[in-house]
Amino acid sequence: MKPVKTKDKTVLRSLGLGGYFGGGAEGMVDVKNGKIVRVRPMRYGWKYDKKEVRQWKMERNGKTIEPTWKSLPGPFSLAYKKRVYSPNRVPYPMKRVDWDPKGERNTQNRGKSKFVRISWDEAATLIADEIKRVHEKYGHNAILMQGDGHGECKTINTPHGHPGVLLEYLGGFTLQVRNPDSWEGWYWGAKHVWGQGAQGIMYPAANIVKDTIEHADMVLFWGCDPETTPWGFVGQFASRLCYYLSEVGIKQVYICPDCNYGAAIHADKWIPVLPNTDAALQLAIIYMWLTEGTYDKEYVATHTVGMDKVADYVLGKEDAIPKTPEWASAKCGVPVWTIKALAREFGTKTTSIAHYFGGGFIRGPFAHEPARLECILLGMQGLGGPGVHQHQWTYFGLPRAEGLGGTFFWNPDIEERLALPVLSAVAAWQEQVIPKTLIQNAILSDEPIKFRGTGAQNALTADQFVEYTYPIEPEKKGSQIHMIWADSPCRITCWNYGHETELALRSPKIEFFVAQHPWFENDCLYADIVLPANTYMEVDDIVTNIRQGTMQPNIMITEKAIEPIGESKSDAECVREVAKKFPGMEEQMTDGKTIADLQKAIWGYMGGEKLVSWEQLKEKGYWIYSTAENWEDDPPGFRQFYLDPEKHKLNTPTGKLEFYSEALAKAYPGDKERGAIPRWVEKSHNHDERLSSHRAKMFPLLIMSNHGRWRVHAQCDDITWTRETPTMKVTGPDGYKYEPCWLHPTEAEKRGIKNGDIVKLFNERGVVLAGAYITERLRPGVAYIDHGARHDPIKTGEIERGGAINTITPGAVTSENCVGQIGGGYLVEVQRVTGEEMERWRREYPEAFARKYDPAAGLRVDAWIVDGGDK
Amino acid sequence: MKVFIVDLARCNGCYCCQIACKDEHVGNDWSPYAKPQPDTGQFWLGITERVHGHVPHVRVSYVPYLCHHCDDAPCIEGCKAEAILKRPDGLVIIDPEKCVGCKLCADTCPHNAIFFNEQLNLAQKCTGCAHLLDSDPEEWTVPRCVDQCPTEALRFGEEEDFADFIAAAEPYRPHIATKSRVYYQSLPKKFVAGTLYDPDRQEVIIGATCTLKDAESGEVFTETTNNFGDFWFKGLKDDRTYTLALEKDGFQQVIESVRTDIDRGLGDIAMAMAG
Repeated sequence: MKPVKTKDKTVLRSLGLGGYFGGGAEGMVDVKNGKIVRVRPMRYGWKYDKKEVRQWKMERNGKTIEPTWKSLPGPFSLAYKKRVYSPNRVPYPMKRVDWDPKGERNTQNRGKSKFVRISWDEAATLIADEIKRVHEKYGHNAILMQGDGHGECKTINTPHGHPGVLLEYLGGFTLQVRNPDSWEGWYWGAKHVWGQGAQGIMYPAANIVKDTIEHADMVLFWGCDPETTPWGFVGQFASRLCYYLSEVGIKQVYICPDCNYGAAIHADKWIPVLPNTDAALQLAIIYMWLTEGTYDKEYVATHTVGMDKVADYVLGKEDAIPKTPEWASAKCGVPVWTIKALAREFGTKTTSIAHYFGGGFIRGPFAHEPARLECILLGMQGLGGPGVHQHQWTYFGLPRAEGLGGTFFWNPDIEERLALPVLSAVAAWQEQVIPKTLIQNAILSDEPIKFRGTGAQNALTADQFVEYTYPIEPEKKGSQIHMIWADSPCRITCWNYGHETELALRSPKIEFFVAQHPWFENDCLYADIVLPANTYMEVDDIVTNIRQGTMQPNIMITEKAIEPIGESKSDAECVREVAKKFPGMEEQMTDGKTIADLQKAIWGYMGGEKLVSWEQLKEKGYWIYSTAENWEDDPPGFRQFYLDPEKHKLNTPTGKLEFYSEALAKAYPGDKERGAIPRWVEKSHNHDERLSSHRAKMFPLLIMSNHGRWRVHAQCDDITWTRETPTMKVTGPDGYKYEPCWLHPTEAEKRGIKNGDIVKLFNERGVVLAGAYITERLRPGVAYIDHGARHDPIKTGEIERGGAINTITPGAVTSENCVGQIGGGYLVEVQRVTGEEMERWRREYPEAFARKYDPAAGLRVDAWIVDGGDK
Repeated sequence: MKVFIVDLARCNGCYCCQIACKDEHVGNDWSPYAKPQPDTGQFWLGITERVHGHVPHVRVSYVPYLCHHCDDAPCIEGCKAEAILKRPDGLVIIDPEKCVGCKLCADTCPHNAIFFNEQLNLAQKCTGCAHLLDSDPEEWTVPRCVDQCPTEALRFGEEEDFADFIAAAEPYRPHIATKSRVYYQSLPKKFVAGTLYDPDRQEVIIGATCTLKDAESGEVFTETTNNFGDFWFKGLKDDRTYTLALEKDGFQQVIESVRTDIDRGLGDIAMAMAG
């Protein structure tokens, strides 16, 4: 047969969607005739010989594991072409048709009225004029910048935070501080036990993968899914590692309400626990160890403080309730005999605990309690000793690369100008700040709001003892917010109580809301102006694939694959268009540097001259790190502390594992949710979300919600190919693709629900429609639905069709002194939506059902553009 | 001659094979090898996903299905337009130029691996990405579905290089005797599992002998409960009826008529260890 031309060129990409600087899940993108023809794994040997790179190898029982010589991207990475060419791309700058900055702003029509096309110049002028007006009338802190979260992996054109650069040069702004939304419990809890860690996660964590492979008998995948959450960051090496554990005989026990995608193929044992009741299970394990003496007493004596207080509580000396397996079983739904068996296995076998963010364990009400109890469990078994670690499975703990500096958010010494956008995702670097969990409170309340700790990811433990107020004092130029500039916003579908967010965005107090994003989705529906940002395929950049546990670290120049779609511009360029309206500002922001200049500069900040010449990097397009020659010498995890706790102290006040925190006891003596030792909290003034609650009579199911298998938070809900998989969407009888709501057959039967029915999940906070997916992969008593589905309002603030479950999560934060968010473990009821009810909604909200819809890709932007798109 | 190798013991169900196939063939015209695949609804390589068992003994299986590139391909035989050809490397290709859209092959393929593209009036199916293998042999030695497989569950290559795998491969739809070039191992089989516990002591029973007996065939399988009180009989045949006997220290529990029409997760099974 006659050969065909398969491509014109190949460019490299980081196909991860974790954002910040740095990425993973590398890929090769083939382009032909100006269009992307294929997206495929990256062959590391494309321009290098394998012999040029020193790779690592680990071994147990004569079997080895090593990095593959090809990257392992997940499905949405390989399908990213569909995202780039999505029918939901914002085609040009758009203005809400009834928003008139010189007349009526009609804020009540946000999320309802449509948009018209405007020119880039008009958009930039309108935005610049609003900035000037707001600055003059209220001061610079009246502008809120929302520039944080996950997104594509770019450096120069990183998707989040660029508006903050301009606003900073214009005098400052109010910063939305992103909370650690995937690991709240460790941030607010574990930090007080083992010190700062990596935002609360066990750190140092060097070489814990090797050490666990060599020494562990068992790994508890506690509330995590290694076959889901790693995909968005680095791809599927975590999967290979799980297979390897099976091969070498390391048992894998999954403790989670759902038989998640990891459990479904790797579990030697699945223990289905009720959502957010892990603390009860953990306390019963401690009870077993205390009563049977199966813990490391010597370690506890020399490495920890407060075991006596914890023991008093667990044995019932404090509150007359011994935390027995019987007591726990009634709360967590795990049979008494299984709790005992787990406690004995954990107590006698060398055991590590693994997570990879998200899941049902760490995002519920009072999440700091299971997090702290986990530290205590590990501490009682000699944390830091051979095979006893806490993992974010592969995220930390893979071998060190030669010449690699920090692997946190960026490499050392990256120039501030370049670091500023990402700074907004990790630091509370402005004077007036609002935690992301409290944005709607800040908008809807006329009273100042107070909070302890900003929740910023890189804030130190000490920050949790600082009280903040919004707005700050008038003499410090404090002001309520009256304008919002958001990039890639997804608060409605990814944060707490999205229905309230929708209503807050309609507040007349917010006089102007501008959003920039490649896709018209989620919060963008409520904007007054939407700017078309573009995707990583459409810009030149440079990416360091070094963070989040890449098995084979590398640097790549990511040459533009295609020309920008429509009138889109990179996130940095979108902001620069506005900057042009302020004399000299564009020059000040860019310092006259081109993208090519910046690529070279970033190579320099990476310590490039010591690694690979700029010429070689340019010529080959990428460069691969070798594993450090002496990587095996790095002490694993807390090993040094384990060996000598006096010499190698933790950074807690006592230098030890603080099962009891004197600091918390002193700062918050009345805190019944996060006390000085972790406890079981049945309910509080903030949360009443247990099956024991009177509310459970109305809402008898607990929500289990993870980060999506087929999305990265809100990203990738529109990929036609993943939407064909059985667990991505359920096609309703009306042809709409609903977000699946898993139910156990017994729960479905009780409610007369059949597979594929349209159902509604609801509580006092609103209604979310979904498609019933009836399965043995979920225990009874639970409704499972992933977060991040695209918001599709039937009635704003009340009824959600797209399946954005976070519209009805609790509004209250993790606990009184912890501004974290709740992502699961709260009460709902699920019912079948009757034809009558659907008909009534169709009658009452005809516009919601009249919007153009593409069954394959879902929601589309033309539904929101006034016919023809022109004014 | 090329073969596809499918080792289901290593399939993690990521669907990347199904998606890579679409990435290659949707919206791309690789004539004369293939015209574009429709965006949705067709799966030149598709996954069949099934949930097995009952809480808390549950597994999920994923089985990729695709054209078997049969050596005795009924589609080639039946095609009146002589549009389907067998290449020397074993791949079976439908020539989009010659196909007249009679649908016969799609209707009669015993593996249901041929799709009909209404818009183009063409029968279409897996090409083994022959356009890549032929046009860019330095870059491409395997099709897209195989190239991306993160666990090497799916492989492709010369028959003799996979001789061991093929020798141990399991019969897949053996009644379809078309000399398939796709070989499977670890196809889903039935299991019977449970957790044994002592209701009085509220403890799991460890080390109990579990015997599964097929009265009809006389086959007997034995397992021992592990430290979670669990037993798993794996690799059982379909539609057998077993008697399950559980025994420890002279105490016994018998469960009759355990039928493997479906996988059986028997849940927590009480066995009194006193009196």
